[in-house]
Amino acid sequence: MRNIFVLVGKDFANLRRNRTAFIVSLVVPVMIIWIVGPIFGLSGSRSGPSGIPLAVVNQSGDPAAQTLVDALKAEPSFGVITTREGPNHSTVPLTEADLEPMIRDRKFAYALVIPPDLVSTERLGLHLTILSDPRNNIESQMVNGLLEKTIFSNVPQLLGRSLQTRAKAFLGSDRLTGFDRSIAEDVAGTFGGDAEAIRRRIESGDFGLDRLTAHNGGTGGGTEDGDVFSRIVRVDRRQVVGKDVKSPQATQVVAGYAVMFLLFALSNSSAAFFEEKNTGVFQRILAGPVSRGQLLGSRFVYGILFGLMQLMALFLAGRILYGVDFFGRLPGLAFMCVCVAAACTGFGMLLATITKSAQAAAGLATLLVITMSACGGAWFPVSFMPPFMQHVARFTLVYWSIEGFNEVLWARGSFAELLPFWGILLGFAAAAMIVATWRFNRSAIFE
Amino acid sequence: MLSFREVTKSYGTLRALDRVSLDIGPGEFFGLLGPNGAGKSTLMSIAAGLRSPNSGLVTLGGAVLSPQEPATRRSLGLVPQHVALYPELSAEQNLKIFGQLYGMRGAELRSRVDELLEAVHLADRRRDQVKNFSGGMQRRLNIVSALLHRPKVLLCDEPTVGVDPQSRNAIFEYLEQLNREGLTVIYSTHYMEEATRLCSRIGIIDHGRILALGSLDELLNALPFQEEVRFPADPATVPLVERLGGGGELLTEGEFHRFHPRTGYPLSEFYRTAEELGLPPRLFTVQRPTLEGVFLNLTGRVLRD
Repeated sequence: MRNIFVLVGKDFANLRRNRTAFIVSLVVPVMIIWIVGPIFGLSGSRSGPSGIPLAVVNQSGDPAAQTLVDALKAEPSFGVITTREGPNHSTVPLTEADLEPMIRDRKFAYALVIPPDLVSTERLGLHLTILSDPRNNIESQMVNGLLEKTIFSNVPQLLGRSLQTRAKAFLGSDRLTGFDRSIAEDVAGTFGGDAEAIRRRIESGDFGLDRLTAHNGGTGGGTEDGDVFSRIVRVDRRQVVGKDVKSPQATQVVAGYAVMFLLFALSNSSAAFFEEKNTGVFQRILAGPVSRGQLLGSRFVYGILFGLMQLMALFLAGRILYGVDFFGRLPGLAFMCVCVAAACTGFGMLLATITKSAQAAAGLATLLVITMSACGGAWFPVSFMPPFMQHVARFTLVYWSIEGFNEVLWARGSFAELLPFWGILLGFAAAAMIVATWRFNRSAIFE
Repeated sequence: MLSFREVTKSYGTLRALDRVSLDIGPGEFFGLLGPNGAGKSTLMSIAAGLRSPNSGLVTLGGAVLSPQEPATRRSLGLVPQHVALYPELSAEQNLKIFGQLYGMRGAELRSRVDELLEAVHLADRRRDQVKNFSGGMQRRLNIVSALLHRPKVLLCDEPTVGVDPQSRNAIFEYLEQLNREGLTVIYSTHYMEEATRLCSRIGIIDHGRILALGSLDELLNALPFQEEVRFPADPATVPLVERLGGGGELLTEGEFHRFHPRTGYPLSEFYRTAEELGLPPRLFTVQRPTLEGVFLNLTGRVLRD
């Protein structure tokens, strides 16, 4: 028994000495739980997305429409935007005409238009318009569900007002008032209550239908009542971006995973650095007519070519297996692949130069790649994370790589629209290579 | 040919080389002998242009050697301490890569690769992955990988570490053949047997300083004694040790004493004393001093320490 304890103690001593094993087995899982936890409500807070920008243009003067806007503002999943910046830094209300250009400019991906005739005398029911850039399928489904939930939660009141308005148009104001009073008295006589109070509620459009929806879940989808509401509430949906994209989901999935695997592959290749250094291959090469710059440059070029190969293989597989359409965007995609590969190579070389051993590089790579993939949008939409993490995501390579691929394949962005993504990725690559070169020339990698 | 002038190199507070001056002529087989940490690898890496000295100058054929001057290093070939090859690639691929780095192409490269593989008896394994080679085969390939471009100077940094005696002998024979063909070889080692067998001139280095320099005979003749008596360091020989007095220098190395008689002290005197103490002659071994004795005399330590 004593021997068993001695050997167990030895294993723990080894674990304590082996930082890679320590990081991979303890730090990485803790990081992932920390990132993923809030998404599933594990931290005790609410789960699901938060602060997804939603533009709302309310063209209706009806108080019920404002109630709907207030309900959307109260929904923490949305960050409701109703104004935009005007001339001289002034703030002006959003108009319907602003929405499509702003969606294309990625100011927000979803917008709700409440038209002037929300409650019309011309027809029974409600009419709303949702504009969207559903580049992230999971997020898009979530937003649609939340929007429907919020709208249908307010439908009963809106519907009552719609009925009252239509009835007034047909019957005239006096006859409708008499009708409402008659109904109120019958209800009070039959079920009890104050007839005048009941009349006021009927006139305001409050028929108590909200209790019906609350009883049935009130989502408007799937239940009989929901189906009734969805027939009464007409929601026009306009996809602003990505209308022509075939296999949109596959496009996004392939892009996300391609970046993650590329990061893993190029980070692991940093181990080759240490192997070549430890075996003396670097010394042999550098003892010849090869400069350190050439050695470093060769690694960088190899990384980019390897990355291109891997990305193209993944996109080609996506094309063959899931119909990902990229042939029309080949030049843009190819250059985006170059930028992503350059940035990932720079990341791998940075790791190789800031760590002291292959094991340390591998441990740090695992930690960073998984963390960046989790909070950069490779696994789930960035909007599902707490606001703080959404800001952190914008500092990750994965985020800009995925957004860049989406801009090419989904938004079919123009050269000017792709430029910021190329700039950020190449900027990261350049910064990483500058640091890596500095470290290469100073660090013990050649000692 | 290769010249070091007052070369100093420090790592932090550790002075790895301390004002080393050394000239190695063409065609020499120069041995750099010293224990681990003596400064051999630092000297070799500066010679290879991998490191810059803090002060001093290293020149090859009159041209300054430095990491910033890759062209000067064309005349050098480096055999690193470890097997510096790509294990996943074949022997032929490895050689071609290292040849191409020196600008060799086409028929010239193919011919040179064939020649070198033949020379180290690896021609029939040319397409095998290096990782499947034995340690000795890898070491042989490691050496010829530094010879593709026909260097004038070959720097061998302890190239036989971990090699079995048979393979080591094959490596020695090949290096001797190269030297006979005119190649200047600089060979660092902490094995005095290697330096004794191979080197026409030896530099003994310790704590970053060249302590002695010369041919084997010159180094041995410089010793203040020409013979050495070795006997067990046990209680039976204590009276002998006490009576040797000023007869010479006595050093103790583990379980043995080494007695170096001073000039003029006859060995017959030593044996007479031993006989008087009843110590049988079989306890004593008389031998000519070795490089280890030279090192011991210079540093007071044995080389393997």
